[in-house]
Amino acid sequence: MTTQAVSTNTLTRRAKFKRGSFFESRFFFYLALTLGLIFTLLPFLMMIFSSLKTNTEVLRVPPTFLPDNPTFSNYLTIFNDPRLPLLRFYANSAFVAVFNVTATLFTSALIGYMFAKFEFPGKRILFGWFLTLMMIPSHITMIPSYLILAKLGLINSLWGLVIFSAVDAFGIFMLRQFCETLPNELLDAARIDGASEWQIFIRIVVPQLSAPLATLGILGFMGNWNAYLWPMIVLQKVEVRTLPIILTWYNSTHTGQGALVMAATVLITMPILLVLVYFQRWIVKGFVTTGLK
Amino acid sequence: MNLRRKKEKRPKGGLTIAKGRFVLGITIPLLIYESLGLFVIGWALVLMFFNYSSGRLGGPILGLGGTNPFVGIDNFIEMFSGTSVEANLFRISLKNTLIFAFAVLPLNLMITLPIAYLLESIGERFKAFYRTIYFLPVLTSSVGVALIWLSMYDPQAGWINAIIRLFGGTPVSWLSDPRAGFAGVSVAMWAVILAYLWQDYGYNMVIFIAALQGVPQELKDTAMIDGANRWQTFIKITVPLIRPTMLFVCVMTMLSSFQVFDIIQVMTNGAPGNQTQVLMLDIYKNAFRYQRLGWAAAESFILFLLVMGVTIIQMRMLRTEWEY
Repeated sequence: MTTQAVSTNTLTRRAKFKRGSFFESRFFFYLALTLGLIFTLLPFLMMIFSSLKTNTEVLRVPPTFLPDNPTFSNYLTIFNDPRLPLLRFYANSAFVAVFNVTATLFTSALIGYMFAKFEFPGKRILFGWFLTLMMIPSHITMIPSYLILAKLGLINSLWGLVIFSAVDAFGIFMLRQFCETLPNELLDAARIDGASEWQIFIRIVVPQLSAPLATLGILGFMGNWNAYLWPMIVLQKVEVRTLPIILTWYNSTHTGQGALVMAATVLITMPILLVLVYFQRWIVKGFVTTGLK
Repeated sequence: MNLRRKKEKRPKGGLTIAKGRFVLGITIPLLIYESLGLFVIGWALVLMFFNYSSGRLGGPILGLGGTNPFVGIDNFIEMFSGTSVEANLFRISLKNTLIFAFAVLPLNLMITLPIAYLLESIGERFKAFYRTIYFLPVLTSSVGVALIWLSMYDPQAGWINAIIRLFGGTPVSWLSDPRAGFAGVSVAMWAVILAYLWQDYGYNMVIFIAALQGVPQELKDTAMIDGANRWQTFIKITVPLIRPTMLFVCVMTMLSSFQVFDIIQVMTNGAPGNQTQVLMLDIYKNAFRYQRLGWAAAESFILFLLVMGVTIIQMRMLRTEWEY
């Protein structure tokens, strides 16, 4: 059945490409896509090539495309710069991202499961309250949250980035929908076998949620890792900063040294980009199913 | 006595108690969290009626009152009819935000929908390759994107001006010339719009690809048999069928461009001459650089109204039933 359908599709596709004007031709389609491809790649190439140039070559007018004498000296300068301990900033970013993702996945699964499978008085009010919180954009809560952190003495602490992010209304909303599809018989069977409610949640519910948890997890990781505005507000001292803020700081302290800044950009954006490309399928699926950004 | 009664009722009662405990163990922390959320929102709503600065001590409750006086709706009156520097800057920011959003939306659709359609029409193997490349900027940190484009726009050594020179044009000081403009919008604004589009088109592209895959092949085939060419079929059949997705994409694009911050803050920080000053940037500067938190809270509320307005329009439009 399926094979048949696919082959009919290819047939019609071929037929479609054969007749018609230039703008309907296969050649035009690939041409347009390739032009877009070049436009998409050019800035990346510029970054990588510039990072391999010397600081004098990067200022040359007109600019060179490929570096004349490719050199890794910019990278070595950064690795040997005691004011830029990259590993430390990687650790800061990783702490925030891993902690926030783990916490939100746990709370989202737990609370979503509870809203889906348990009846208790006030449930609708509690859930409606949640939906309202979800609709408030973060720029509204940014100022009071900052004031609270200041009162708690958590400005310049990585914990300050963590405490407000442990619960994610959207994750709860999404996982509640998944939990509603779990059969009640499965849960009741476990209850009869003597499992406690927590055991049921950990052993039976969580494994069933692995696909949506993976989607939420990778989207959350990406969002946390690339977050800029809120970490910039909370982390004002250099040592505690996360990668995006350290990158702008490095840029502002190295004006006129374009090659060096591009090398720092490569070192800070490329490793995580490769990881995200590897998980691209999940990210696309997450975007399409959740509409989140 | 008590114990024995519990034992007798064990099968049902024990279960209910266990469930009740489980629910209670979750709902109590949850209630605290939700109350905190409500408190934060309430605080934000109160702040906008005060002349509040975090540098002043203020009254006993949350620092409100005293040296942080209650000013009623003065902040809002000042915003729309005042002559002070910050009122002017707010109006400029509001205008720039609207220019940004209304330029990004059509340009984004004009890029993403055709790309998605072209990608859907070519062979499987190439499709994955092209899609991965187009998707790269979405996965890149916006600060990285901003720094890359900052370098691309360099008036002397930047690649954009190099390309312009290659074709015999005059180079432009993209991010620093306050007088240069195109179609009534400054070149600096166009420059950040282009950078933003570059970063963002992969997102709408994948959404459109998913929608296009949902369009039944038979409908397209019927149109082709009736003599329509590929692009006619696309515009007359496919586009109307994915209207709900288009609406969704429009709203999401609008909402995120109203709240644009990262790219503009890194690339221009509002320069030249406030031509790229957008609302989020103005809010950030007022709140965290000039300590005018009451004013910033009032600005945030205006931005919130913009966002809500778009969301409500979306809900209205989605209520219309679509069927095929």
